[in-house]
Amino acid sequence: MRRFLRIYLPFSKAGMQEMMAYRFNFIFHLIGEMLSCFVMYFVWLAVFESSDSSTFMGFSMVDMTVYLFISFMASFLTYSDGAINIGEEIRDGSIVMRMIKPVNFDMYLLFHELGSRFVSIFIVLVPMSVGVELYKFFVTGSVMFSLPNFALFSVSIIIAYLVSFYFNVCYGFLAFFLKNLWGSSVLKDAIISFLSGAKIPLAFMPPALAAVLTVLPFASLSYTPVMLYMGIYDAPQIIWSLSLQLFWLVFFWGLSKLIWRLAMKRLCVQGG
Amino acid sequence: MLKKIKRISKMHRIFIAQDLKKLMEYKVDFLTGMFGFMVYQTINLLFLWIIFSGIPALHGWSYDEIIFIYGFSLLPKAIDHLFFDNLWSVGYWLVAKGDFDKYLTKPLNPFFTVLVEKFCVDAAGEFIVGIALIAVTIGKVSIQWSVMNVLLFILILPCATLIYTGIKTITASIAFWTKRSGHITHAFYLMNDFAKYPTSIYNDVIRNVITYIIPFAFTAFYPASYFLTGENPLFNLGGTVIAAAVLMTIGMLIWNKGVKSYESAGS
Repeated sequence: MRRFLRIYLPFSKAGMQEMMAYRFNFIFHLIGEMLSCFVMYFVWLAVFESSDSSTFMGFSMVDMTVYLFISFMASFLTYSDGAINIGEEIRDGSIVMRMIKPVNFDMYLLFHELGSRFVSIFIVLVPMSVGVELYKFFVTGSVMFSLPNFALFSVSIIIAYLVSFYFNVCYGFLAFFLKNLWGSSVLKDAIISFLSGAKIPLAFMPPALAAVLTVLPFASLSYTPVMLYMGIYDAPQIIWSLSLQLFWLVFFWGLSKLIWRLAMKRLCVQGG
Repeated sequence: MLKKIKRISKMHRIFIAQDLKKLMEYKVDFLTGMFGFMVYQTINLLFLWIIFSGIPALHGWSYDEIIFIYGFSLLPKAIDHLFFDNLWSVGYWLVAKGDFDKYLTKPLNPFFTVLVEKFCVDAAGEFIVGIALIAVTIGKVSIQWSVMNVLLFILILPCATLIYTGIKTITASIAFWTKRSGHITHAFYLMNDFAKYPTSIYNDVIRNVITYIIPFAFTAFYPASYFLTGENPLFNLGGTVIAAAVLMTIGMLIWNKGVKSYESAGS
Protein backbone atom coordinates (compact mmCIF):
# COMPACT_ATOMS: atom_id res chain seq x y z
CA MET A 1 0.00 0.00 0.00
CA ARG A 2 2.81 2.44 0.90
CA ARG A 3 4.60 1.49 -2.28
CA PHE A 4 1.39 2.00 -4.25
CA LEU A 5 0.89 5.49 -2.86
CA ARG A 6 4.56 6.32 -3.37
CA ILE A 7 4.14 5.51 -7.04
CA TYR A 8 0.84 7.24 -7.68
CA LEU A 9 0.68 10.21 -5.33
CA PRO A 10 3.17 12.26 -7.39
CA PHE A 11 0.65 12.08 -10.26
CA SER A 12 -1.96 13.62 -7.97
CA LYS A 13 0.49 16.32 -7.06
CA ALA A 14 1.08 17.06 -10.73
CA GLY A 15 -2.68 17.18 -11.33
CA MET A 16 -3.05 19.57 -8.44
CA GLN A 17 -0.34 21.85 -9.75
CA GLU A 18 -1.92 21.92 -13.20
CA MET A 19 -5.21 22.85 -11.64
CA MET A 20 -3.63 25.64 -9.62
CA ALA A 21 -1.89 26.96 -12.73
CA TYR A 22 -5.25 27.23 -14.51
CA ARG A 23 -7.31 28.22 -11.48
CA PHE A 24 -8.75 31.36 -13.09
CA ASN A 25 -9.90 29.39 -16.10
CA PHE A 26 -11.47 26.92 -13.75
CA ILE A 27 -13.25 29.57 -11.70
CA PHE A 28 -14.66 31.26 -14.81
CA HIS A 29 -15.79 27.89 -16.07
CA LEU A 30 -17.50 27.25 -12.75
CA ILE A 31 -19.23 30.63 -12.75
CA GLY A 32 -20.47 30.04 -16.28
CA GLU A 33 -21.89 26.65 -15.45
CA MET A 34 -23.46 27.94 -12.25
CA LEU A 35 -25.44 30.61 -14.08
CA SER A 36 -27.92 28.01 -15.24
CA CYS A 37 -28.58 27.16 -11.57
CA PHE A 38 -29.55 30.77 -10.95
CA VAL A 39 -31.79 30.81 -14.02
CA MET A 40 -33.49 27.67 -12.72
CA TYR A 41 -33.75 29.20 -9.25
CA PHE A 42 -35.67 32.19 -10.61
CA VAL A 43 -37.82 29.98 -12.81
CA TRP A 44 -38.77 27.91 -9.78
CA LEU A 45 -39.38 31.06 -7.72
CA ALA A 46 -41.79 32.22 -10.42
CA VAL A 47 -43.40 28.78 -10.50
CA PHE A 48 -44.02 28.86 -6.76
CA GLU A 49 -45.37 32.43 -7.04
CA SER A 50 -47.70 31.42 -9.86
CA SER A 51 -48.87 28.31 -8.05
CA ASP A 52 -51.56 28.17 -5.36
CA SER A 53 -49.87 25.58 -3.19
CA SER A 54 -46.57 25.98 -1.38
CA THR A 55 -45.22 22.67 -2.63
CA PHE A 56 -44.66 21.36 -6.14
CA MET A 57 -44.85 17.56 -6.41
CA GLY A 58 -43.77 17.32 -2.78
CA PHE A 59 -40.89 19.81 -3.06
CA SER A 60 -41.01 23.16 -1.25
CA MET A 61 -39.09 26.15 -2.64
CA VAL A 62 -36.33 25.53 -0.08
CA ASP A 63 -36.08 21.85 -1.11
CA MET A 64 -36.00 22.85 -4.74
CA THR A 65 -33.18 25.36 -4.20
CA VAL A 66 -31.16 22.86 -2.20
CA TYR A 67 -31.77 20.26 -4.89
CA LEU A 68 -30.70 22.61 -7.69
CA PHE A 69 -27.44 23.67 -6.15
CA ILE A 70 -26.44 20.38 -4.54
CA SER A 71 -27.17 18.41 -7.69
CA PHE A 72 -25.17 20.94 -9.69
CA MET A 73 -22.34 20.50 -7.21
CA ALA A 74 -22.61 16.71 -7.38
CA SER A 75 -22.50 16.64 -11.18
CA PHE A 76 -19.60 19.07 -11.15
CA LEU A 77 -17.58 17.09 -8.62
CA THR A 78 -18.22 13.75 -10.29
CA TYR A 79 -17.48 15.03 -13.80
CA SER A 80 -14.57 13.12 -15.24
CA ASP A 81 -12.75 13.66 -18.50
CA GLY A 82 -9.31 12.37 -17.56
CA ALA A 83 -9.69 9.38 -19.85
CA ILE A 84 -11.23 11.18 -22.79
CA ASN A 85 -8.18 10.78 -25.02
CA ILE A 86 -7.50 7.13 -24.33
CA GLY A 87 -9.13 5.83 -27.52
CA GLU A 88 -7.40 8.50 -29.56
CA GLU A 89 -4.04 7.50 -28.07
CA ILE A 90 -4.63 3.90 -29.03
CA ARG A 91 -5.42 4.89 -32.58
CA ASP A 92 -2.45 7.15 -33.11
CA GLY A 93 -0.15 4.83 -31.20
CA SER A 94 0.95 7.28 -28.51
CA ILE A 95 -0.47 4.77 -26.02
CA VAL A 96 2.89 2.96 -26.15
CA MET A 97 4.30 5.74 -24.00
CA ARG A 98 1.91 4.59 -21.28
CA MET A 99 2.67 0.91 -21.81
CA ILE A 100 6.43 1.22 -21.36
CA LYS A 101 5.98 2.83 -17.95
CA PRO A 102 5.61 0.55 -14.93
CA VAL A 103 2.24 2.05 -13.96
CA ASN A 104 -1.35 1.06 -14.55
CA PHE A 105 -3.00 3.23 -17.17
CA ASP A 106 -6.22 3.65 -15.20
CA MET A 107 -4.51 4.28 -11.87
CA TYR A 108 -2.30 6.87 -13.51
CA LEU A 109 -5.30 8.70 -14.99
CA LEU A 110 -7.31 8.33 -11.80
CA PHE A 111 -4.65 9.71 -9.49
CA HIS A 112 -3.84 12.49 -11.92
CA GLU A 113 -7.47 13.57 -11.95
CA LEU A 114 -7.86 13.11 -8.19
CA GLY A 115 -5.27 15.84 -7.73
CA SER A 116 -7.49 18.36 -9.48
CA ARG A 117 -10.60 17.01 -7.72
CA PHE A 118 -8.85 17.63 -4.42
CA VAL A 119 -8.50 21.31 -5.28
CA SER A 120 -12.15 21.50 -6.31
CA ILE A 121 -13.16 20.37 -2.81
CA PHE A 122 -11.98 23.76 -1.63
CA ILE A 123 -13.18 25.78 -4.61
CA VAL A 124 -16.55 24.04 -5.07
CA LEU A 125 -17.64 21.74 -2.26
CA VAL A 126 -16.89 23.93 0.74
CA PRO A 127 -18.24 27.27 -0.55
CA MET A 128 -21.32 25.72 -2.13
CA SER A 129 -22.39 23.60 0.81
CA VAL A 130 -21.76 26.49 3.21
CA GLY A 131 -23.80 28.71 0.87
CA VAL A 132 -26.68 26.23 0.73
CA GLU A 133 -26.69 25.79 4.51
CA LEU A 134 -26.63 29.57 5.05
CA TYR A 135 -29.52 29.92 2.61
CA LYS A 136 -31.51 27.29 4.50
CA PHE A 137 -30.74 29.08 7.76
CA PHE A 138 -31.88 32.48 6.48
CA VAL A 139 -35.05 31.17 4.90
CA THR A 140 -36.21 28.81 7.64
CA GLY A 141 -34.53 30.45 10.63
CA SER A 142 -33.19 27.20 12.03
CA VAL A 143 -29.99 25.26 11.58
CA MET A 144 -30.82 22.09 9.67
CA PHE A 145 -27.34 20.83 8.89
CA SER A 146 -27.11 17.12 9.61
CA LEU A 147 -23.67 15.62 10.01
CA PRO A 148 -24.75 11.99 9.33
CA ASN A 149 -26.41 13.10 6.08
CA PHE A 150 -23.31 14.98 5.06
CA ALA A 151 -21.14 11.95 5.87
CA LEU A 152 -23.40 9.70 3.75
CA PHE A 153 -23.28 12.29 0.98
CA SER A 154 -19.48 12.33 1.11
CA VAL A 155 -19.23 8.54 0.85
CA SER A 156 -21.75 8.50 -1.93
CA ILE A 157 -20.09 11.27 -3.91
CA ILE A 158 -16.74 9.47 -3.80
CA ILE A 159 -18.31 6.31 -5.19
CA ALA A 160 -20.19 8.45 -7.72
CA TYR A 161 -16.95 10.00 -8.90
CA LEU A 162 -15.37 6.56 -9.34
CA VAL A 163 -18.40 5.30 -11.29
CA SER A 164 -18.14 8.39 -13.48
CA PHE A 165 -14.40 7.88 -13.97
CA TYR A 166 -14.68 4.25 -15.11
CA PHE A 167 -17.76 5.02 -17.18
CA ASN A 168 -15.73 7.66 -18.99
CA VAL A 169 -12.80 5.31 -19.46
CA CYS A 170 -15.18 2.96 -21.28
CA TYR A 171 -16.54 5.91 -23.23
CA GLY A 172 -13.02 7.08 -24.11
CA PHE A 173 -12.45 3.79 -25.93
CA LEU A 174 -15.29 4.74 -28.25
CA ALA A 175 -12.90 7.06 -30.09
CA PHE A 176 -11.81 3.87 -31.79
CA PHE A 177 -15.04 3.95 -33.70
CA LEU A 178 -15.98 7.61 -33.81
CA LYS A 179 -13.49 9.84 -35.51
CA ASN A 180 -13.68 12.57 -32.99
CA LEU A 181 -15.49 12.65 -29.75
CA TRP A 182 -16.82 16.18 -29.74
CA GLY A 183 -20.20 15.41 -31.26
CA SER A 184 -20.85 12.39 -29.14
CA SER A 185 -19.72 14.29 -26.02
CA VAL A 186 -22.54 16.76 -26.54
CA LEU A 187 -24.95 13.88 -26.88
CA LYS A 188 -23.51 12.01 -23.89
CA ASP A 189 -23.62 15.03 -21.59
CA ALA A 190 -27.19 15.85 -22.66
CA ILE A 191 -28.38 12.31 -22.05
CA ILE A 192 -26.58 12.01 -18.72
CA SER A 193 -27.95 15.33 -17.46
CA PHE A 194 -31.43 13.98 -18.12
CA LEU A 195 -31.00 10.37 -16.97
CA SER A 196 -29.11 11.33 -13.82
CA GLY A 197 -31.85 13.68 -12.64
CA ALA A 198 -29.51 16.67 -12.74
CA LYS A 199 -31.93 18.67 -14.90
CA ILE A 200 -35.26 17.41 -13.62
CA PRO A 201 -35.54 15.56 -10.29
CA LEU A 202 -36.36 11.92 -10.99
CA ALA A 203 -39.20 12.24 -8.49
CA PHE A 204 -41.02 14.56 -10.96
CA MET A 205 -41.05 11.98 -13.73
CA PRO A 206 -43.79 9.42 -14.35
CA PRO A 207 -43.40 6.70 -11.67
CA ALA A 208 -42.53 3.91 -14.11
CA LEU A 209 -39.83 5.98 -15.80
CA ALA A 210 -38.47 7.18 -12.45
CA ALA A 211 -38.25 3.57 -11.22
CA VAL A 212 -36.21 2.55 -14.26
CA LEU A 213 -33.95 5.59 -14.07
CA THR A 214 -33.10 5.11 -10.38
CA VAL A 215 -31.73 1.65 -11.19
CA LEU A 216 -29.69 2.78 -14.20
CA PRO A 217 -26.08 3.79 -13.50
CA PHE A 218 -26.75 7.47 -14.21
CA ALA A 219 -28.76 8.00 -11.02
CA SER A 220 -25.66 6.84 -9.16
CA LEU A 221 -23.78 9.81 -10.60
CA SER A 222 -25.66 12.64 -8.95
CA TYR A 223 -29.19 11.76 -7.86
CA THR A 224 -28.15 9.34 -5.10
CA PRO A 225 -25.67 11.69 -3.39
CA VAL A 226 -28.19 14.54 -3.54
CA MET A 227 -30.97 12.45 -2.01
CA LEU A 228 -28.59 11.46 0.77
CA TYR A 229 -27.59 15.07 1.36
CA MET A 230 -31.22 16.10 1.63
CA GLY A 231 -31.95 13.19 3.97
CA ILE A 232 -34.92 12.02 1.90
CA TYR A 233 -34.07 8.31 1.96
CA ASP A 234 -34.80 6.01 4.94
CA ALA A 235 -32.34 3.35 6.15
CA PRO A 236 -33.25 0.51 3.70
CA GLN A 237 -33.23 2.95 0.79
CA ILE A 238 -29.81 4.25 1.85
CA ILE A 239 -28.34 0.76 1.94
CA TRP A 240 -29.97 -0.16 -1.36
CA SER A 241 -28.81 2.97 -3.19
CA LEU A 242 -25.25 2.76 -1.88
CA SER A 243 -25.02 -0.92 -2.86
CA LEU A 244 -26.35 -0.05 -6.27
CA GLN A 245 -23.62 2.57 -6.64
CA LEU A 246 -21.00 -0.01 -5.66
CA PHE A 247 -22.46 -2.46 -8.15
CA TRP A 248 -22.12 0.04 -11.00
CA LEU A 249 -18.60 0.88 -9.88
CA VAL A 250 -17.56 -2.77 -10.10
CA PHE A 251 -19.42 -3.13 -13.39
CA PHE A 252 -17.69 -0.24 -15.16
CA TRP A 253 -14.34 -1.07 -13.60
CA GLY A 254 -14.60 -4.63 -14.97
CA LEU A 255 -15.83 -3.43 -18.34
CA SER A 256 -12.97 -0.97 -18.73
CA LYS A 257 -10.44 -3.71 -17.88
CA LEU A 258 -12.06 -6.04 -20.40
CA ILE A 259 -11.98 -3.44 -23.18
CA TRP A 260 -8.39 -2.56 -22.34
CA ARG A 261 -7.35 -6.20 -22.60
CA LEU A 262 -9.13 -6.63 -25.93
CA ALA A 263 -7.61 -3.43 -27.25
CA MET A 264 -4.10 -4.47 -26.18
CA LYS A 265 -4.44 -7.77 -28.00
CA ARG A 266 -5.27 -6.03 -31.23
CA LEU A 267 -2.94 -3.09 -30.76
CA CYS A 268 -0.65 -2.55 -33.66
CA VAL A 269 1.58 0.50 -33.64
CA GLN A 270 3.59 1.33 -36.70
CA GLY A 271 6.90 3.13 -36.72
CA GLY A 272 8.03 5.47 -34.00
CA MET B 1 -16.64 48.86 -52.43
CA LEU B 2 -18.96 46.67 -54.48
CA LYS B 3 -15.99 44.83 -55.87
CA LYS B 4 -14.70 44.24 -52.37
CA ILE B 5 -18.02 42.83 -51.18
CA LYS B 6 -18.16 40.59 -54.24
CA ARG B 7 -14.68 39.30 -53.54
CA ILE B 8 -15.41 38.69 -49.87
CA SER B 9 -18.62 36.79 -50.56
CA LYS B 10 -16.81 34.70 -53.16
CA MET B 11 -14.14 33.86 -50.59
CA HIS B 12 -16.82 33.00 -48.08
CA ARG B 13 -18.42 30.55 -50.51
CA ILE B 14 -15.07 28.86 -51.07
CA PHE B 15 -14.51 28.50 -47.33
CA ILE B 16 -18.00 27.09 -46.79
CA ALA B 17 -17.45 24.58 -49.58
CA GLN B 18 -14.23 23.49 -47.87
CA ASP B 19 -16.06 23.00 -44.61
CA LEU B 20 -18.80 20.97 -46.23
CA LYS B 21 -16.10 18.68 -47.63
CA LYS B 22 -14.68 18.25 -44.14
CA LEU B 23 -18.17 17.54 -42.95
CA MET B 24 -18.63 14.68 -45.39
CA GLU B 25 -15.50 13.15 -43.89
CA TYR B 26 -16.93 13.30 -40.37
CA LYS B 27 -20.56 12.46 -41.13
CA VAL B 28 -21.21 10.39 -38.01
CA ASP B 29 -19.70 12.94 -35.69
CA PHE B 30 -21.72 15.73 -37.27
CA LEU B 31 -24.95 13.78 -36.97
CA THR B 32 -24.32 12.84 -33.34
CA GLY B 33 -23.42 16.45 -32.52
CA MET B 34 -26.57 17.76 -34.15
CA PHE B 35 -28.63 15.06 -32.50
CA GLY B 36 -26.97 15.91 -29.17
CA PHE B 37 -28.08 19.53 -29.40
CA MET B 38 -31.60 18.42 -30.26
CA VAL B 39 -31.74 16.02 -27.30
CA TYR B 40 -30.46 18.79 -25.04
CA GLN B 41 -33.22 21.14 -26.18
CA THR B 42 -35.85 18.43 -25.89
CA ILE B 43 -34.86 17.88 -22.26
CA ASN B 44 -35.26 21.59 -21.57
CA LEU B 45 -38.71 21.45 -23.14
CA LEU B 46 -39.61 18.47 -21.00
CA PHE B 47 -38.63 20.56 -18.01
CA LEU B 48 -40.95 23.38 -19.14
CA TRP B 49 -43.72 20.88 -19.76
CA ILE B 50 -43.35 19.48 -16.25
CA ILE B 51 -43.46 22.88 -14.54
CA PHE B 52 -46.48 23.94 -16.58
CA SER B 53 -48.30 20.78 -15.53
CA GLY B 54 -48.50 22.42 -12.08
CA ILE B 55 -49.26 26.03 -12.97
CA PRO B 56 -51.50 27.72 -15.58
CA ALA B 57 -49.11 30.56 -16.42
CA LEU B 58 -45.66 31.79 -15.51
CA HIS B 59 -45.84 35.46 -14.47
CA GLY B 60 -48.72 35.92 -16.87
CA TRP B 61 -47.12 34.13 -19.81
CA SER B 62 -48.84 30.99 -21.08
CA TYR B 63 -47.09 27.73 -21.91
CA ASP B 64 -47.30 28.41 -25.65
CA GLU B 65 -45.90 31.91 -25.24
CA ILE B 66 -42.96 30.63 -23.18
CA ILE B 67 -42.28 27.97 -25.82
CA PHE B 68 -42.42 30.64 -28.53
CA ILE B 69 -39.87 32.76 -26.64
CA TYR B 70 -37.74 29.67 -26.13
CA GLY B 71 -37.87 28.81 -29.83
CA PHE B 72 -37.08 32.40 -30.75
CA SER B 73 -34.04 32.37 -28.44
CA LEU B 74 -32.57 29.42 -30.35
CA LEU B 75 -32.55 31.18 -33.74
CA PRO B 76 -29.93 33.92 -33.18
CA LYS B 77 -27.93 31.44 -31.14
CA ALA B 78 -27.97 28.95 -34.00
CA ILE B 79 -27.07 31.55 -36.64
CA ASP B 80 -24.13 32.75 -34.57
CA HIS B 81 -23.10 29.15 -33.96
CA LEU B 82 -23.32 28.38 -37.68
CA PHE B 83 -21.20 31.26 -38.97
CA PHE B 84 -19.08 32.57 -36.13
CA ASP B 85 -18.17 29.52 -34.07
CA ASN B 86 -14.45 29.92 -34.72
CA LEU B 87 -14.22 32.84 -32.28
CA TRP B 88 -14.13 30.23 -29.52
CA SER B 89 -10.87 28.88 -30.92
CA VAL B 90 -9.24 32.32 -30.66
CA GLY B 91 -9.68 32.36 -26.90
CA TYR B 92 -9.00 28.69 -26.36
CA TRP B 93 -5.88 28.01 -28.39
CA LEU B 94 -5.27 30.04 -31.59
CA VAL B 95 -3.56 32.87 -29.71
CA ALA B 96 -2.00 30.80 -26.92
CA LYS B 97 -0.32 28.39 -29.34
CA GLY B 98 0.68 31.07 -31.81
CA ASP B 99 -1.52 29.63 -34.56
CA PHE B 100 -3.01 33.07 -35.03
CA ASP B 101 0.07 33.85 -37.17
CA LYS B 102 -1.50 32.22 -40.18
CA TYR B 103 -4.30 34.80 -40.35
CA LEU B 104 -1.81 37.63 -40.40
CA THR B 105 0.06 36.19 -43.37
CA LYS B 106 -3.01 36.03 -45.59
CA PRO B 107 -4.08 38.90 -47.84
CA LEU B 108 -7.46 39.03 -46.11
CA ASN B 109 -8.80 40.77 -43.06
CA PRO B 110 -7.84 38.55 -40.08
CA PHE B 111 -11.23 38.96 -38.40
CA PHE B 112 -13.02 37.92 -41.56
CA THR B 113 -10.67 34.98 -42.09
CA VAL B 114 -11.18 33.73 -38.54
CA LEU B 115 -14.94 33.94 -38.91
CA VAL B 116 -15.23 32.16 -42.24
CA GLU B 117 -12.70 29.46 -41.48
CA LYS B 118 -15.28 27.32 -39.75
CA PHE B 119 -18.82 26.77 -40.91
CA CYS B 120 -20.36 24.91 -38.01
CA VAL B 121 -23.22 22.85 -39.37
CA ASP B 122 -23.90 21.32 -35.93
CA ALA B 123 -25.91 24.48 -35.35
CA ALA B 124 -28.60 22.91 -37.53
CA GLY B 125 -29.77 21.04 -34.42
CA GLU B 126 -30.59 24.27 -32.60
CA PHE B 127 -31.98 25.87 -35.73
CA ILE B 128 -34.36 23.01 -36.49
CA VAL B 129 -35.65 22.90 -32.90
CA GLY B 130 -36.07 26.69 -32.87
CA ILE B 131 -38.03 26.74 -36.13
CA ALA B 132 -40.11 23.76 -35.03
CA LEU B 133 -41.06 25.39 -31.72
CA ILE B 134 -42.08 28.61 -33.43
CA ALA B 135 -44.04 26.68 -36.05
CA VAL B 136 -45.89 24.65 -33.44
CA THR B 137 -46.84 27.59 -31.24
CA ILE B 138 -47.48 30.16 -33.94
CA GLY B 139 -51.15 29.25 -34.26
CA LYS B 140 -51.73 29.26 -30.53
CA VAL B 141 -50.29 32.65 -29.61
CA SER B 142 -51.72 35.98 -30.69
CA ILE B 143 -49.31 37.37 -33.23
CA GLN B 144 -50.32 39.83 -35.93
CA TRP B 145 -48.47 38.58 -38.99
CA SER B 146 -48.69 41.76 -40.99
CA VAL B 147 -46.14 42.34 -43.74
CA MET B 148 -44.49 44.84 -41.43
CA ASN B 149 -44.06 42.31 -38.64
CA VAL B 150 -42.74 39.59 -40.94
CA LEU B 151 -40.16 42.08 -42.23
CA LEU B 152 -39.26 43.10 -38.68
CA PHE B 153 -38.93 39.45 -37.69
CA ILE B 154 -36.52 38.79 -40.55
CA LEU B 155 -34.55 41.97 -39.87
CA ILE B 156 -34.29 41.54 -36.10
CA LEU B 157 -32.69 38.08 -36.31
CA PRO B 158 -29.32 39.27 -37.67
CA CYS B 159 -29.24 41.99 -35.02
CA ALA B 160 -29.94 39.51 -32.24
CA THR B 161 -27.25 37.27 -33.73
CA LEU B 162 -24.72 40.10 -33.64
CA ILE B 163 -25.30 40.50 -29.89
CA TYR B 164 -23.92 36.98 -29.49
CA THR B 165 -21.12 37.64 -31.95
CA GLY B 166 -20.24 40.95 -30.32
CA ILE B 167 -19.97 39.44 -26.85
CA LYS B 168 -17.87 36.60 -28.24
CA THR B 169 -15.61 39.03 -30.13
CA ILE B 170 -15.03 41.18 -27.05
CA THR B 171 -14.24 38.25 -24.77
CA ALA B 172 -12.17 36.41 -27.39
CA SER B 173 -10.06 39.54 -27.97
CA ILE B 174 -8.98 39.48 -24.34
CA ALA B 175 -6.79 36.54 -25.34
CA PHE B 176 -4.49 38.88 -27.27
CA TRP B 177 -3.32 40.20 -23.92
CA THR B 178 -3.87 37.22 -21.60
CA LYS B 179 -3.11 34.42 -24.14
CA ARG B 180 -6.23 32.46 -23.18
CA SER B 181 -9.75 33.75 -22.67
CA GLY B 182 -11.95 30.85 -23.76
CA HIS B 183 -13.22 30.44 -20.25
CA ILE B 184 -14.23 34.08 -20.03
CA THR B 185 -16.16 33.70 -23.27
CA HIS B 186 -17.73 30.57 -21.85
CA ALA B 187 -18.86 32.33 -18.66
CA PHE B 188 -20.39 35.26 -20.56
CA TYR B 189 -21.87 33.12 -23.32
CA LEU B 190 -23.78 30.95 -20.88
CA MET B 191 -25.60 34.04 -19.64
CA ASN B 192 -27.79 33.62 -22.70
CA ASP B 193 -29.73 31.11 -20.60
CA PHE B 194 -31.35 34.07 -18.86
CA ALA B 195 -32.82 35.30 -22.14
CA LYS B 196 -35.18 32.37 -22.57
CA TYR B 197 -37.57 33.45 -19.83
CA PRO B 198 -39.58 36.62 -19.16
CA THR B 199 -37.30 39.15 -17.49
CA SER B 200 -39.95 39.80 -14.82
CA ILE B 201 -39.02 36.56 -13.06
CA TYR B 202 -35.56 37.84 -12.14
CA ASN B 203 -34.57 40.28 -9.42
CA ASP B 204 -33.59 43.85 -10.27
CA VAL B 205 -29.85 43.22 -10.39
CA ILE B 206 -30.06 40.38 -12.89
CA ARG B 207 -32.72 42.15 -14.95
CA ASN B 208 -30.54 45.24 -15.29
CA VAL B 209 -27.45 43.22 -16.11
CA ILE B 210 -29.10 41.22 -18.90
CA THR B 211 -30.80 44.32 -20.27
CA TYR B 212 -28.12 46.99 -20.14
CA ILE B 213 -24.73 45.43 -19.48
CA ILE B 214 -24.64 42.00 -21.14
CA PRO B 215 -27.82 42.48 -23.12
CA PHE B 216 -28.77 38.88 -23.84
CA ALA B 217 -32.38 39.70 -23.01
CA PHE B 218 -32.49 41.49 -26.38
CA THR B 219 -31.59 38.27 -28.21
CA ALA B 220 -34.84 36.60 -27.24
CA PHE B 221 -37.28 37.81 -24.64
CA TYR B 222 -37.62 41.48 -25.64
CA PRO B 223 -37.99 41.00 -29.40
CA ALA B 224 -40.18 37.92 -28.90
CA SER B 225 -42.39 39.83 -26.47
CA TYR B 226 -42.92 42.52 -29.10
CA PHE B 227 -44.23 39.94 -31.55
CA LEU B 228 -46.43 38.38 -28.86
CA THR B 229 -47.91 41.59 -27.46
CA GLY B 230 -47.19 44.29 -30.05
CA GLU B 231 -46.07 46.57 -27.23
CA ASN B 232 -43.07 48.90 -27.01
CA PRO B 233 -41.51 48.29 -30.43
CA LEU B 234 -39.07 51.12 -29.79
CA PHE B 235 -37.58 49.47 -26.72
CA ASN B 236 -38.06 45.80 -27.64
CA LEU B 237 -36.78 46.00 -31.21
CA GLY B 238 -34.83 49.26 -31.16
CA GLY B 239 -32.94 48.04 -28.12
CA THR B 240 -31.87 44.95 -30.02
CA VAL B 241 -30.52 47.03 -32.89
CA ILE B 242 -28.69 49.41 -30.56
CA ALA B 243 -27.25 46.60 -28.44
CA ALA B 244 -25.96 44.81 -31.56
CA ALA B 245 -24.41 48.00 -32.97
CA VAL B 246 -22.76 48.98 -29.69
CA LEU B 247 -21.39 45.50 -28.96
CA MET B 248 -20.02 44.98 -32.47
CA THR B 249 -18.39 48.42 -32.44
CA ILE B 250 -16.73 47.78 -29.09
CA GLY B 251 -15.81 44.29 -30.25
CA MET B 252 -14.12 45.53 -33.42
CA LEU B 253 -12.25 48.27 -31.54
CA ILE B 254 -10.88 45.83 -28.97
CA TRP B 255 -10.15 43.23 -31.63
CA ASN B 256 -8.15 45.65 -33.78
CA LYS B 257 -6.24 46.90 -30.76
CA GLY B 258 -5.65 43.30 -29.73
CA VAL B 259 -4.32 42.19 -33.11
CA LYS B 260 -1.78 45.03 -32.89
CA SER B 261 -0.52 43.83 -29.51
CA TYR B 262 -0.55 40.16 -30.53
CA GLU B 263 2.77 38.46 -29.86
CA SER B 264 3.25 35.07 -31.37
CA ALA B 265 4.23 32.12 -29.21
CA GLY B 266 7.92 31.30 -29.11
CA SER B 267 9.52 28.57 -31.25
